[in-house]
Amino acid sequence: MNDHILKDAIHDTCIRAVTGISPDVRELLSQALVRETSPTAQSMLRSMLDDLDIAKKEDKAVCQSPGYPTAWISFGDGNFPGVACEAVKEALSDATKKGYLRPSMVDPLTRYNPGNNTGKGVPNIEYKYVPGQQYVDFIISFKGCGAELGNAMKIFTTATLKIDQELEGLKRFVLETVINAGGKPCPPFGIGIGIGGQMDVAAKLSREAISTRDWRDENPDSKLASLEKELRDSINSLGIGAAGTGGDTVCLAVKIGTAATHTAIAPVAINFHCWVARRAGIRIYDDGRIETIL
Amino acid sequence: MEKVLNVPLSENDVRDLHIGDIVYLNGHIFTARDMAHMKIKGLINEDKALPKELRGAAIFHAGPVCLKKPDGSWKLNVIGPTTSIRMEPYAEMVGRVGIRALIGKGGMDQDTIDACENYGYVYLQAAPGCAAKLAQGIISVFDVNWLELGMPEAMWDLEADHFGPFVVGIDTHRNSIYKTIRENAIKKMDSIYPA
Repeated sequence: MNDHILKDAIHDTCIRAVTGISPDVRELLSQALVRETSPTAQSMLRSMLDDLDIAKKEDKAVCQSPGYPTAWISFGDGNFPGVACEAVKEALSDATKKGYLRPSMVDPLTRYNPGNNTGKGVPNIEYKYVPGQQYVDFIISFKGCGAELGNAMKIFTTATLKIDQELEGLKRFVLETVINAGGKPCPPFGIGIGIGGQMDVAAKLSREAISTRDWRDENPDSKLASLEKELRDSINSLGIGAAGTGGDTVCLAVKIGTAATHTAIAPVAINFHCWVARRAGIRIYDDGRIETIL
Repeated sequence: MEKVLNVPLSENDVRDLHIGDIVYLNGHIFTARDMAHMKIKGLINEDKALPKELRGAAIFHAGPVCLKKPDGSWKLNVIGPTTSIRMEPYAEMVGRVGIRALIGKGGMDQDTIDACENYGYVYLQAAPGCAAKLAQGIISVFDVNWLELGMPEAMWDLEADHFGPFVVGIDTHRNSIYKTIRENAIKKMDSIYPA
């Protein structure tokens, strides 16, 4: 694989991610508007769809907040994309100069803002080695941070999950978290739920689930698929609505990622994703072919 | 009810508003988020002058994307609301300095409901994430203070023309859309998954 081709492809994918939202989420927003019965929520959803059209027409950012950049990169034998991190950094800097991204990354304690959207640990890159994989998958996501303010995590146990009562402990925790978040995560939102591992594993699973999956997909695990749908519908029945000012759809999708855990615990991380789903992904084959995967 | 109001706002302007009303604003809009609120609080405590007259002001919880033009002036690219609850600790201060409207997203809490009634200010909800659309209501950048805090945290003075629409989320009569929605949501949750 030619480093130049790889670098350009990653750069272009980052720019695509920051200049629009992924088509699955746009489709779900349009469907939510068709179903909506509250006039306030209809007006909010219409503003969101208008905003996407205006941003595209005027070549502007959809949202003023650039979110926080995380990339997922998987690779196989002999195709580790060593240029990826540099390519993402350059794309961030370019996008900032062009006004697609507001300079927003700061030191966590001093709050010093260097003005170029980089800093220690930024972008965050999650690498995964898959033996035998003859391509590189690259997905970048810029997740908004109002959504982060509603996130929650809890270490459950067998008893508190209520596995003998159809997981009602878990389900109630999800709804409590949604109610506490209210309109903060820019609804209609998606929710990633990570279950298992220890605290760190559950948190990463939650971000990966909502950032890398198509929000319209069906979980291949049928039990998780039905849990995802049940939670989405229960959450929507709360009446919180688009923007949190009341309505039929506050949640467009729930996506669950799991990992095995220790018998003493069941860590659960709940991760909101605002409707501004700035993310994009490509598959780069070893022979140079490039496919869009998100 | 749909209303177009001019900034500076009077106490009567905002006491006439009720939750659910739709509002558009004309005139000066100041942005302020976490750092600007902290800074204003510090200046007041030290009895120092503020960079802007805040009596009658409309404060937008927002940090714009601005580009500097070759002549040194600023062009606003996009602007949209940030999550307002972070500014809840300043509810009392906002009222004391005479601010009449906050614009943001996601709603605010009990301290703001109390201060809105006591001092006479309202909380206006903007459509979240809609920065390209909202930018159509900003026609120029007057100036910027505290740019050393970084572009998002600086205090931008913007010229608004038919800026909105905003929904009155908290009025001066102790009504909050968010509080009612929350109470109903808790009842619903208790009926689906009892504690």
